[in-house]
Amino acid sequence: MATIRDMIPAFGLFQPTSVEDALELVNDHGRKAWVLAGGLDSMDWFKDRIKRPEVVIDLGAIDELRGVRETGGALDIGALTTLTALERHDAVQKLFPMLAEAARHVATPQIRNQGTLGGNLSQDTRCWYYRSGWPCYRAGGNTCYASAPQAMNREHCILGASRCVAVNPSDTAPALIALDAKMVIRDRRRTRTVDAEDYFVGPAIDITRMTVLKANDLLTSVHVPSAWAGAQTYYEKVRDRGSWDFSLVTVAGAFWASGGRIEQARIVVNGVAAYPVRLHEVERAVIGAAVGEETARAAGDLAVQGAKPLRHNEYKVALMRNLVRRAVRSVA
Amino acid sequence: MDEAKVTEVLEDALSRRTFIKGVIAAGATASSAGYLFRSTGGLAAATAVQGTAERLLTLTVNGQQRRVDVLPHETLAMTLRYKLGLTGTKLGCDRGECGACTVLVDGANHYACSMLTHQVRGRAVTTIEGLQNPDTEALHPVQQAVLDEGGFQCAFCAPGFIMSMTALVESTPDFTREQAAHALSGNLCRCADYQKILNCAMRAGELARARA
Amino acid sequence: MAKLIGTDIASPDLLAKITGRAKYAEDFRVDGMVFAKLLLSPMPHARVRGIDAARALAMPGVLGILTADDVPQLEAPGEACLTNEPRYEGEPILALAAVDEETAAAAIELIRLDLEPLPFALDPLESLRPGGPDAWTEGNVLVEGEMKSLKWDGVDFSSVAQGQLPMGEVTTEWALGDVDAGFAQADVVVDETMVHQTQTHHPLEPRSTLAYWRNGKLFAHVSVQSTARMRASLAGALDLDIADVVVVAEYCGGGFGSKITGSPIMHVAPLFSKKIGRPVMLRITRYEETYVGRSRPGFQMRAKVGFRSDGRITAMDLFIVEDHGSYGGGGDNGTAGVLAHLMYQPENIRVRGVPVFTNTPPRAAQRGPGGVQMLTILEPLMDKAARELRMDRLELRRVNAPREGATFGPRETPLTSVHVHEAMDMGEKLFDWQEKKTWSGRRNGSKVTGVGIGVSPYTAGSVGYDGLLVIRPDGLVHIHQGVGNLGTHSVMDTARAAADVLNVGWDQVVIEWGDTSRGLPWSASQGGSQTTHAHTRANHAAGLDAKRKIQDIAARTLGGSPQSYDVAGGRVFQRGNPGRGMSFAQVAERAVALGGEYDGHTLPEDIHAMTIESATALVGQGLMGVAKDNFGRSGATYSWVVGFAVVEVDTETGHVEIKEYTGVADCGTVLHPRSLGAQILGGSIQGMGVAMSQRWVYDPKWGAALAKRLYSARPPSILDVPMDMTWAAVEIPDPDTPVGAKGIGEPPLGAGGAAIACAVADALGGRLVGRTPLTPDVILAELEGSKRPWRPLDVHVG
Repeated sequence: MATIRDMIPAFGLFQPTSVEDALELVNDHGRKAWVLAGGLDSMDWFKDRIKRPEVVIDLGAIDELRGVRETGGALDIGALTTLTALERHDAVQKLFPMLAEAARHVATPQIRNQGTLGGNLSQDTRCWYYRSGWPCYRAGGNTCYASAPQAMNREHCILGASRCVAVNPSDTAPALIALDAKMVIRDRRRTRTVDAEDYFVGPAIDITRMTVLKANDLLTSVHVPSAWAGAQTYYEKVRDRGSWDFSLVTVAGAFWASGGRIEQARIVVNGVAAYPVRLHEVERAVIGAAVGEETARAAGDLAVQGAKPLRHNEYKVALMRNLVRRAVRSVA
Repeated sequence: MDEAKVTEVLEDALSRRTFIKGVIAAGATASSAGYLFRSTGGLAAATAVQGTAERLLTLTVNGQQRRVDVLPHETLAMTLRYKLGLTGTKLGCDRGECGACTVLVDGANHYACSMLTHQVRGRAVTTIEGLQNPDTEALHPVQQAVLDEGGFQCAFCAPGFIMSMTALVESTPDFTREQAAHALSGNLCRCADYQKILNCAMRAGELARARA
Repeated sequence: MAKLIGTDIASPDLLAKITGRAKYAEDFRVDGMVFAKLLLSPMPHARVRGIDAARALAMPGVLGILTADDVPQLEAPGEACLTNEPRYEGEPILALAAVDEETAAAAIELIRLDLEPLPFALDPLESLRPGGPDAWTEGNVLVEGEMKSLKWDGVDFSSVAQGQLPMGEVTTEWALGDVDAGFAQADVVVDETMVHQTQTHHPLEPRSTLAYWRNGKLFAHVSVQSTARMRASLAGALDLDIADVVVVAEYCGGGFGSKITGSPIMHVAPLFSKKIGRPVMLRITRYEETYVGRSRPGFQMRAKVGFRSDGRITAMDLFIVEDHGSYGGGGDNGTAGVLAHLMYQPENIRVRGVPVFTNTPPRAAQRGPGGVQMLTILEPLMDKAARELRMDRLELRRVNAPREGATFGPRETPLTSVHVHEAMDMGEKLFDWQEKKTWSGRRNGSKVTGVGIGVSPYTAGSVGYDGLLVIRPDGLVHIHQGVGNLGTHSVMDTARAAADVLNVGWDQVVIEWGDTSRGLPWSASQGGSQTTHAHTRANHAAGLDAKRKIQDIAARTLGGSPQSYDVAGGRVFQRGNPGRGMSFAQVAERAVALGGEYDGHTLPEDIHAMTIESATALVGQGLMGVAKDNFGRSGATYSWVVGFAVVEVDTETGHVEIKEYTGVADCGTVLHPRSLGAQILGGSIQGMGVAMSQRWVYDPKWGAALAKRLYSARPPSILDVPMDMTWAAVEIPDPDTPVGAKGIGEPPLGAGGAAIACAVADALGGRLVGRTPLTPDVILAELEGSKRPWRPLDVHVG
């Protein structure tokens, strides 16, 4: 079949107005259906004519999936809440400014006006071989073009490779993991909650998916517990261009400190693996340590132990190390 | 499902008119009778579920109600350009990367290339053609500002930038140059006339505040 | 009347641009219009053995296909619009038309191609290695019009690993003086190998075409830089009489050299329309634009420069391997060498170049062609020498920059004017170089400041084109402009030259442009910064012709000598007796009554055939001013921009923030200040994009493009540049042109790119990274001393 791009193949469209209806639809259509949130990542796949769902289920008309609700210092954020709404929400800014900052770092104003938190968290990887429609492992084939000896893999992973070397592009994911958020997932029969950290899957677990969502699941909301409200946080996204771009490496850290010592820490890095990487060992090392440069340096060095750069992305090791240092250095 | 408030958009293979053909029909001679399109799974699946076929939408564009026959997979940019004749909305990349297709949806700037027309049902769409007052022909403050400052070079990006400026000016009348740059950062100008574009934005703010 | 030249007047087309009424090629609709889509080659080099389109053609709504067999094919290395031997991944093999685009796309997917893969070359240097692949079955270089396979047998390629360009046989070479003798006199010698990447032009408007035929005439709605010249180019390519071609191109959404007189892909719609008898719209997508939209040729370049202790350059030896792409069209290495000679005036110079064909998309001039590549490479090298010489960097440039009387290039061409020293002086003050240079190396946390200068010349004007205007009985001066409307405003601004001669206000001027059926004069192509110069001259000439005729008519009608009459405000009147005169409206009516030369019945003999045709169509409509630019010129016309920049490099992330930028131009008389500022700063930003972020990436194994999207190709966004930048112009008129104005499109790019490249090197303590773009990974690897992301001479990486 000859390849052509830029015309969306036909599909049937459903616009349910309740979660129940949406769940019925995803259940009925299973893998033939495509769930549309803001639609930006989806639209790319459709226009490339690589993903050709029979039906598209647009969640945009489900009001109950939108909005931010504050309860006792905790937040429940509907999965369809736009990134703009998230970024501007008073309670988000007051309780979890890092989350607002992360949302602000996504792409462009237009994308944030349409793109949703759920979509940002659940988007597919941007590996340019995979996105070009090449039949790689992730696409159901039997090779990885990006890790071939001559391949161009400047933006690929340095950790967690398992046949596939793609990275997770989400800007909000590391912030939510650092804030110990919970993802609320529903299917027709039940509602389950998973730790944000466990929402994302690497290729070793499932090479064709980025998250734990199954075909008949919907991510309906994100719960941010009050535990980290008011904590010291650090968020930094390094990218090539000041607008639109995906991150090369992003760090998100949340800390409690007093008396010059770090008491609690959660540190997450994205752009380095197919999933946002929580740095458990680094957290253990810095908890109880004195704030300052020495701890920061040690944290950065520890963070990149075991990193396995590809031919063109050794810089990511230094970048990740330096960003982790900065995050820990920021603690006062 | 019958009771469910599901709007299903049915692809009726027999009466199907593609959007391009819609234009041709409106524009003139055009082709022939309807032809059978390829029958994909999409067709079969869509017809298998009961629901209301809502191909015929009423869109609110530039303050007017427009009845349009819209395919399920049709983007807003295509509807505007090829069905409503609103070619001021440009396609620079068709991938939500350049901003030339920027329109306002309920006052917020969006990439018209990257939303389905069905997603704007019930929402107010404003395009570049809708800024000028239709009765007095008075320019919108943003347009006036661009005129005052001699903005843009090739201007293929201009409609998109102007819509993003409009979203800014109408939501945040008082803003800094830096805020303007961030508000316009979803629009690409390949002539890189950013300095003058920011001058226009600042002037637009002044005009809007004076008018308010 | 106050002169229009030198004032800020919004272009008359601006209202259309800001209300959405301006129509670009894809905005037109015609009765019966159908849509074409392209089938692009999936392989970088292949032979089409067979096309099975039976299933596609059987689809309802499909109207036909157009293949290479239906379109004119050219001798090697010519590029046809469709091919049976694709020479780059993404090259169009066929087009298919259908009643709508969806049908066309679905039908294309049903076509089966039988392709025989052929060897392919992506890296010019690899193609030159003994046994290396050739991009064409006929060879990899062009020697005297013949394709030939050039291999550097016996050349030691082991230096490649150390980052030094090997040097073998070349196809172009020139020298002045004796470089070896020059190096013998040098106190400091720098010798560097650098890589400059290829970059796609990416104008915001893709090159869509709508074409149809009426009564044997082709009507083409295109996105093109040059309106009048597109007509000739299209007629030539399709073997048509020029009178049978109507080009409609009122607006062009950017070209930057990629659409100077169109593009081969613009031939598809006309040929297809002819074949199927329907108007055909070929809507080019961004994806397709990435392939067919042209790109700047990359360089693998070695530069050796010798300096005396006073900074004077004694010798310059340049060796350039140019990536010629699949069909040539660049040749930037030649321009680069000439510009280097102009700019640094080395006492001895040798320039060697070899453009090597590769199986990558076609190259073309991209704003500042050759200059941008050369300057982003050579200017940081000057700074390296300045450090060794312990000289101020601006001073080093002053020591070498040309002054009046300077010549340049292999033929030792003189200049019409050169005021780069004044531009440097002005910039030094405006930017406060003496203060800012002390910021070099200043640390703020993890950030280090760097400052840099980029000096950039470029050719800025041609001569000998025609001006054409008609003063109609409505009293308005209709100035016909054959140059294109791609945003430089020269299509509007150069008309001021005629208006000023006639002493009329802007509200008395109507500009006729953008549609060859409106009667456009023979014009310069809108490329190489020609039009400001060429068409202020042509319009000045037409204005003088019209003024003479007006004075004649006044004298005939009212008595006295023609010289006793003057013009102002749309009237001709007797000097000292303003009440005795005629309005332009009356003059126009009188001109029509008189006929002859006054209303275009007789025309000058030296004007171009296209102007004759246009003028003939306008005969009898009013008083006609029509003339060829016969003003003399004694040298080559060049403009300059000097750029100054401050950057901050974050040593922990490799991220570069451009903090400040000032650009100062020597471009003669200023026509339109605000538009000039936009050219200087916009062009400088494009140069910054070239130096800092834009990329072009290929998978070496599959020969396939990877940075196919705008976000992956990375042109600069509004957040990548300072929010406030400054510009100025020295405003010394060029004495060899009546209006004094020189072009400005090209030179800002080299200035912006080089100033930023120099500033980054400065922040890195004078270290040269050896390649563009200077992305965070490259900079971080340099700072960390870790393995660089790319081997030194690698191309198409990023």
